Amino acid sequence: MTASADNVLAASPPRARRGPLLDFVVRLFRDKPLGAAGGVICVLFLLCGLFANVLAPYGFNQISPIHRLQPPSLRFLFGTDNLGRDVFSRCIYGAQLSVIIGFCAAGLATAISVAIGVFSGYFRGKFDLIAQRFVDAWMSFPELIVLIVVVSVLGPGMVQIIVVLGLALGIAGSRIVRGAVLSVRESMYIHAARSTGAKTRRVLWRHVLPNVMAPVIVLFTNRVAAAILAESGLSFLGLGVPPPAPTWGSMLSGSGRAYMYQGPWLAMAPGLCLTVVVFSISMFGDALRDLLDPRMRGSR
Amino acid sequence: MLRLRRFGLTLLAGMLAAWFGGVASPGAANDAGKPQYGGTLNVGPIYITLSALSWDPADFNWKFNHDAGAVYEQLFAADLSKSVHNGGKYSFVNEAYIPPDALRGELAESWEWKQNPLRVEIKLRKGVMFPDKPGIMKSRELTADDVINAYHRLNASPKKIEGYFDYVDKVETTDPHTVVFTFKHFFAEWDYRFGWGYQSAIYPKEVSDAGMADWRHANGSGPFMLTDFVSGNSNTYTKNPIYWDKETIAGTEYKLPFLDKVVYHTIKDEATWIAALRTGKLDILEGVRWQNVDSLKKSAPQLQWHRWLAQAGTFLAMRVDVDGPFKDIRVRRALNMAVNKPEIVSAYYNGNAELFAYPQHPEYGGYFEPLEKMPDSVKELFTYDPEKARKLLAEAGYPNGFSFKVMVCSCNPDHMDLLPLVAAYLEQVGVKIEIQPMEYAAFLSAMTSRTMTAGYFMANGHTNPTTTIRKSFVTAQLWNPSGWSDPAFDQRMEDAYEEPDEGQRQAIVRDLTREILDKAPYIWLPTPYVYTAWWPWVRNYGGELRAGAVRPGPIYARIWIDQDMKKQMGY
Amino acid sequence: MQVYITRRLLALIPTLFFASLIVFVTVRLIPGNVIDLMLSQNDISAGKMNRQALEAALGFDQPMHIQYLRWIGGILFSGDLGRSLWHNTPVTEEILQRLPVTFELGLLAMMVALSLAIPIGVYSAVRQDTAADYAMRSFSILMLAVPSFWLGTLVIVFPSIWWGWSPEIQYVPFTRNPIQNLGQMIVPAIILGFGLSAITMRLMRTMMLEVLRQDYIRTAWAKGLSEGLVVMRHALRNAMIPVITLIGLQAPVLIGGAVIMEQIFVIPGMGLLLLEAVGQRDYPVITGVFLVVGLAVVLINLIVDLSYGLLDPKVRYR
Repeated sequence: MTASADNVLAASPPRARRGPLLDFVVRLFRDKPLGAAGGVICVLFLLCGLFANVLAPYGFNQISPIHRLQPPSLRFLFGTDNLGRDVFSRCIYGAQLSVIIGFCAAGLATAISVAIGVFSGYFRGKFDLIAQRFVDAWMSFPELIVLIVVVSVLGPGMVQIIVVLGLALGIAGSRIVRGAVLSVRESMYIHAARSTGAKTRRVLWRHVLPNVMAPVIVLFTNRVAAAILAESGLSFLGLGVPPPAPTWGSMLSGSGRAYMYQGPWLAMAPGLCLTVVVFSISMFGDALRDLLDPRMRGSR
Repeated sequence: MLRLRRFGLTLLAGMLAAWFGGVASPGAANDAGKPQYGGTLNVGPIYITLSALSWDPADFNWKFNHDAGAVYEQLFAADLSKSVHNGGKYSFVNEAYIPPDALRGELAESWEWKQNPLRVEIKLRKGVMFPDKPGIMKSRELTADDVINAYHRLNASPKKIEGYFDYVDKVETTDPHTVVFTFKHFFAEWDYRFGWGYQSAIYPKEVSDAGMADWRHANGSGPFMLTDFVSGNSNTYTKNPIYWDKETIAGTEYKLPFLDKVVYHTIKDEATWIAALRTGKLDILEGVRWQNVDSLKKSAPQLQWHRWLAQAGTFLAMRVDVDGPFKDIRVRRALNMAVNKPEIVSAYYNGNAELFAYPQHPEYGGYFEPLEKMPDSVKELFTYDPEKARKLLAEAGYPNGFSFKVMVCSCNPDHMDLLPLVAAYLEQVGVKIEIQPMEYAAFLSAMTSRTMTAGYFMANGHTNPTTTIRKSFVTAQLWNPSGWSDPAFDQRMEDAYEEPDEGQRQAIVRDLTREILDKAPYIWLPTPYVYTAWWPWVRNYGGELRAGAVRPGPIYARIWIDQDMKKQMGY
Repeated sequence: MQVYITRRLLALIPTLFFASLIVFVTVRLIPGNVIDLMLSQNDISAGKMNRQALEAALGFDQPMHIQYLRWIGGILFSGDLGRSLWHNTPVTEEILQRLPVTFELGLLAMMVALSLAIPIGVYSAVRQDTAADYAMRSFSILMLAVPSFWLGTLVIVFPSIWWGWSPEIQYVPFTRNPIQNLGQMIVPAIILGFGLSAITMRLMRTMMLEVLRQDYIRTAWAKGLSEGLVVMRHALRNAMIPVITLIGLQAPVLIGGAVIMEQIFVIPGMGLLLLEAVGQRDYPVITGVFLVVGLAVVLINLIVDLSYGLLDPKVRYR
């Protein structure tokens, strides 16, 4: 039987031999053009973040009061702020900060979500009961307020913001992972693996985790967007990463708002950056979900 | 006869010209026209982001007088007839200082100093009535007992500032309208502490018995009654129909207040309060930052403006009470010369600042000495001389500079912008700053517990000419961030407090000011201008802010609204 | 079912206990002493005597566990959440003053969200993968991506310059003056509602898509029922689930407030109460608000979960 199956495979057209990743990318561009566009922008965003020092024409804290509040020009692509700093450079460095905050916080959040979700969903029992009560308690508090209190405890600073966002988003996201684990848990092959005496760790690592990867990946992309937006909200309230760090949120809520009339570009630039990046990440995440979710595959 | 007639015609023509001449200056606009009764005044107060914190003076809360000062009156208040818009020379923007010749008796009709023992005898006005308050009290006259009660309640409060009334020997009444304060020794701030000060409100005993914490119990002799308080949004005050005071405008006496209602608005967001002013939802906005002035002038050209110098000095305090470079005066002076203060005034503040206005404020009369009159060593600190700065640093043993940490409050957007600018200047002489922003409570705690970093960037209110020196440069004071401690200096400060002759006192204080400026425990920075804006239908007003310690009540009592003009303008 | 409800209610107790402990301790971990803050209000340095007197007056001279027990005891036996350290008013009173305001804003936002999400979600599902579907879905994601405070500021600043209009700034209860009240609430409700509608719309769409594929829908079509009738009668009922989900999701905002909108639009709600209390280290207010919000949200979520049982016959509770 295996031999004929091999023959069948060997006889199928070369197209089917593409690696899963390439196959995925092709499907993305073909079936979900908007999501693909989002993905492209995400890549650009990442590149900005990684190569900010090279791409930015000026430093992010290059103060020169003589050039204050100049509108966009060839020399200063997005104009200058009230201290004469180039807004375009600050936006690029802001991308770097958003990449760091977004990805680190999302990474931490996803790790926490997976840890809580998998252990809670797989082992159930007392741990699940207590953990879910704790998650309940956590989720009953308005998210921003929790952030505010924790930031007040830890003080302003990039590392603290990442930890705070990671914690808050992670605990909330554990529900989703738990739900996925619950459904996987009852499936046939898990039963099969366990009945053959496979150790718990092996079952988790080789069977449970790979099968919840799809929602976890989608969760991760959502968290990146959420972390970036949450940091901007904290900046508005004065609790974000402190100046002179050029996060888009603090640029928007600081000089952007103060000089909205004299220098609309001060608010437009970071605002558009924020909106475009978060929008792209969300569209990409949506497309990912549609492509990876087996239930949705049939519906196109 | 003919000359008289011609004179009369000229006078009439002049008056007509002033009336139709438009709103060239606040004086002309506000003095023409007959006062109208009625209307509601919507105010965006100077402390617009803060709601009322306390309705009880015994809480010793600094903001009490701001919210309750239209309801409760005090022994003394500012004489608003001496304000600029009335032809006088005072703008009454000082937070807690009334120049002695601008002082008027509010509840006190007259007062007299007597010797042996040193005492002041205060005669209260007769016929000042507390209104009816259902469930609390019936309308009755204010008597000396109310004053005594208010004083004793303050003195016995568990939240009392330590030593606040130590100079007082006893307070007693000889008849229902006389109060006598006997002092152990002369104390210059006697009237500030219980005359027109932060907690000097006089209220009926019935109210304090019922519990002053509840705003619904508030009942005073003042021009307005507190009718609504929505914490976080607004305070509503309604006219007190039996208020005693009158105002003379253009020769006619009018019963106060003119307005039916005054509403204080609490708004946390700058964009919102600017928009509210622009659309006429606020009649007065007491604190407009200079950054917003141009856009407002373009979008609402009919607004009236008053510019005043901020009542707080901005500085970078350098700790002299811990080991480090700041113990050396040469380092401190060097850093002052390394910062380009004139450029900060012209480029950062766009000209909307004064180079030199702290610790004394130009409005402090004889206490203030302008920069030109200062000795050269003080003037030098306000020039930009990075060469000399580097030389001094090298002399002091820091030829390659050094680095230090600076704490700053993230709650103040101006400071968050200004400090990086200062850092940029200092870096040019090799001194590097590490900025440590902190949230307000944590920032303040660091100072009170003296766990703050070597540098501390803050603004501190002037308050009044004596307090401004005492609170920041006397040993172990709360608001002394640099930790300045000089027993000789402390002693001379005490001398100033006990000096009854004002001229002598001013001389001592000027001396102290010169000395501390020279010794430079701070990097002295420019003081920005602030603006007050109001719509032209707000009359008998010229941008005054306080008629007592943070007390605008008497000012609002004298304002009237030109309803016809308001309608005509489309609001 | 009864057993399930009882179990869930019992589970509330450890949840709330955890919550109260966490909140009590965390709040006191925040650096910045309230005594320092109070003392710094005044010009004169606070001597040791003053500090001790204040601490006694505020009950801070007791050890931590005594303070906690006193606080819990007060709540359980007299419903007393303590008094604000700054205003000296009962915390319960402050919360009761702010809660209706927050609730009204949350309710209005939900109404806006639903009035957008239901028609768009249904239309998107029925006309799946058409240009209109894509456009609407993209628009809803866009609404999520724009920071609310930016949108709020734009709405405040530019209409005031162009048309001389800005929202009301003085709060009056709806019952006293509905027009002025709505004049203040409607703009933030719309901004909040747009963000919410994005989530709800997607839920709606997904739910509708699943339902539309069910056998009984195909049967109805086969029977010749008009599309509209099919959609309305069969699909919509099942699709109420996203609506209930929305209520559950929105519960923290309904009770806990939307801080950013409150700040920009001068709405004296729970969010600002909490923000101010945190800023001033007003511990009784912070802990009181957290408890009330926590309790209310957990209860609402219980009701939401029970409603799932009513709406979706597939869900059964052991």
